[in-house]
Amino acid sequence: MSKRNNGITRRSFVATTAAGATALALPGNVLAQAKDSLVMAWPIDPPTFDPIIRTNPGIQSIYKMIFDQPVTQQPDLKVIPAVVKAWKVSEDGKTIDLEFRDDVLWHDGKKLTTADFRYTYVERKEKGHKSDLASVFRNLTDVKVESPTKCQMILSQPMPTVIQWMTFLANYIVPKHYVEEVGPEKFAEKPIGSGPYKLVSYERNSRIVLEAFDKYWGPKPTIKKITILIMKDPSARVAAIQSGQADWVPEVPIREVERLGKVAGLTAEILPITRVIMLQIRSDRAFADQNVRLAAHHAIDKAALSRALYGGKAVPLSVVATPGTPGFVEGFNFPYDPKKAQELLAKAGFSPSKPLQIGMASFNGVFPGDYDIARAIAQMWKRIGIEAKIDVIEQPKYFELNRGNQLPEATLYSWDNATGDPEMFAGYLLHPKLPFSAWKDEKIGGEIMKLFAVVNYDERIKGYKEVNVKAASEGAVMPLLQSVMTFVYKKGLKTVNYANGWNLPQYWSWS
Amino acid sequence: MSGGVLGVALRRIGVSLPLVFLVSVLVFVVLRLIPADPVAMSVPPNATRAEIEALRAEMGLTLPIHEQFWIWFAKAAGADFGKSIAFAQPVSRLIGQALPATIELVVVAAVFATIIGLAGGLLMYRVAGGRGEAASDLASTLIMSIPEFLWAIFFILLFGVALNILPFTGRLDAGITVGRITGFLLVDTLIQGRFGAFLNALSHLLLPSMSLALGTAPLLMRVLRSSLMEVGNEDYMMMARLRGFSERRVLVHHAFKNAFLPTLNLMGVQFSFLFGGTLLVEVIYSYPGLGSLMVQAVANTDLPVIQGVALVYAVAVLLINLGVDLAALMLNPKLRIAK
Repeated sequence: MSKRNNGITRRSFVATTAAGATALALPGNVLAQAKDSLVMAWPIDPPTFDPIIRTNPGIQSIYKMIFDQPVTQQPDLKVIPAVVKAWKVSEDGKTIDLEFRDDVLWHDGKKLTTADFRYTYVERKEKGHKSDLASVFRNLTDVKVESPTKCQMILSQPMPTVIQWMTFLANYIVPKHYVEEVGPEKFAEKPIGSGPYKLVSYERNSRIVLEAFDKYWGPKPTIKKITILIMKDPSARVAAIQSGQADWVPEVPIREVERLGKVAGLTAEILPITRVIMLQIRSDRAFADQNVRLAAHHAIDKAALSRALYGGKAVPLSVVATPGTPGFVEGFNFPYDPKKAQELLAKAGFSPSKPLQIGMASFNGVFPGDYDIARAIAQMWKRIGIEAKIDVIEQPKYFELNRGNQLPEATLYSWDNATGDPEMFAGYLLHPKLPFSAWKDEKIGGEIMKLFAVVNYDERIKGYKEVNVKAASEGAVMPLLQSVMTFVYKKGLKTVNYANGWNLPQYWSWS
Repeated sequence: MSGGVLGVALRRIGVSLPLVFLVSVLVFVVLRLIPADPVAMSVPPNATRAEIEALRAEMGLTLPIHEQFWIWFAKAAGADFGKSIAFAQPVSRLIGQALPATIELVVVAAVFATIIGLAGGLLMYRVAGGRGEAASDLASTLIMSIPEFLWAIFFILLFGVALNILPFTGRLDAGITVGRITGFLLVDTLIQGRFGAFLNALSHLLLPSMSLALGTAPLLMRVLRSSLMEVGNEDYMMMARLRGFSERRVLVHHAFKNAFLPTLNLMGVQFSFLFGGTLLVEVIYSYPGLGSLMVQAVANTDLPVIQGVALVYAVAVLLINLGVDLAALMLNPKLRIAK
């Protein structure tokens, strides 16, 4: 095999590695990718291929390659038909009529019917199969099957976001005949779905190989073979795209995106998605005083954070919703105003010479720039008279602290919401009885709880917009930035960008 | 195996069993004391607090620690490590899938470490007192001072990106699939007569195993050199030289044989460390072994998996040490008499 890179002499090569000689004789490599195949690097390995088990946002795109959701979303997040081609929610929000396509096949050639839907949403729970889907649809009492293409969901209580949930986490239809035949554990290892790709092989923590399903009911993928390399280390992903061992890599550090964007043959992108970086706030302790909370919020220069850490691509936010989603409030701005911050803090009796001591929790390495954001905010607060002691925590500790109501005054957090619906933003983050809420005050929390029962869409969205403004204005939450996703890929690959960060190669092609 | 060696082996196993028990107690207790909530990690965003508490109770996490431990230990004794919280699969199955990959990696790394360590030790001895001594000292110190994960990143950048001659992800190239028989790819490819796939698997092992080996080899070099220097002044060495044997023959046939035993003992300790080194190296190389599984389990606070993998690590370390002790006994008759 000939030398591939200029500037490396035979002598230097021999001097640096004897092992290379073995490799030079090796057959087959990943560099030569045909135009109908794609090698993707992925930072997370699916814990299971049973798609209803876990609500893990990072693996939804992989599930969407293999399985179908009842309904799906366009790149701009509008809900559109999929396996379910029409739906009707009753006025009381307790029954949902669904009409299925009649041309959907499982990867083994059998037809997908409403019986599979009932099995997924009702029967598996009855059989004791533990799943997050069962927990999400805890109020679903039955699915009445009328025909192979028609059924009705019966809920014990209204679930205003039932349709949005059917595009969201863990909502995938699984094949009744196959799961019953092989059992749930075997299914989780070697599944069949009805999606655009079939799972050919899987090696945990290493790679997933998919092949296009030629009888897929939707648009046939032009890329016929997908190899997903599980690469958790960001530097390994950078090396993979640079060496040509991968065609597409996500979640590349911002500085690397800027550098790789200048490399010939590569395209680099930074895209804002429906993920919010924010400070979760306690309603008591040092933050019991609204003046203090608002002072802390006014002291944060979000634009500067975006410029310093995200190349200016992360949009500063004033509400817990991203631009373009229903709960976003156009025209509302919570300004960076350090003077006002000092005035508000003075009202509470604190100043730079008499600082307020608070606690702040932050992850380090869970999402891009997390700990840097926390440190920068601590510096901004220090200028007005708030001294924050940063405690770096891991996700499990976050849940433990939150469960015991032991989080400090402020916690830096990142929240994903592929649906864009405000219930999955402000709803889950400010509902005092749900596990992800740090805010326990029932004034704003009470308004949120009421909205969980509002079935009328327009009324619900209006309510959330009002609560969003109120929550920011009263310092119940401090939205910071709309988070970004970064990608680097080979030139010639045409991708489709979804506002929620889905990466679906079934819609991609090589030019 | 002679009766003496067998007796020593049985005694060592007898001592090892309580050690495994102690390790399992330690791991179990420490994991229960850390402030982390494994249940809340794996619930949907609209889960209620009551549901989380119910799940915790169902998983036995509300029982006293000693009760939890005995339930777990009784099952673990039968190789049932429970069900993973994150993967929703039996832990023993997850370990069974990942263990062969790690053993393969550690064995290849041990081979590299032995070759580099012994060859380097002999070389260092040969150049001792000469102009090359300072250079060989510097080289071994430099290699020793760089941790495995830095070697891993350096090798990726050098051989994967700059030279672009070696793969650095997974166990096989994207286009190659090999049916699983034993889980040991090098073995499975040969059983199936796929020599090309065998070479491909070997090429994927080179960089991670070298990264691991370089953490171990310098110590072997130095110990071997010191041992050689010790035996270098023995009477039998002088006699060999007086008999007119070449320096190479004296070194290999007389000095090395006697100097090897201390190195062998060190190899036992160092090869145990290779298992620990796999944690980061496997993640960096996307290598699907126990290290990757452990890191993923820690990230999810997947207690059953962490406990299971930790126990496997402990048993592996004890087995390696046992193997090395037995090898030393077989190679050195004096030890058998002493025992």
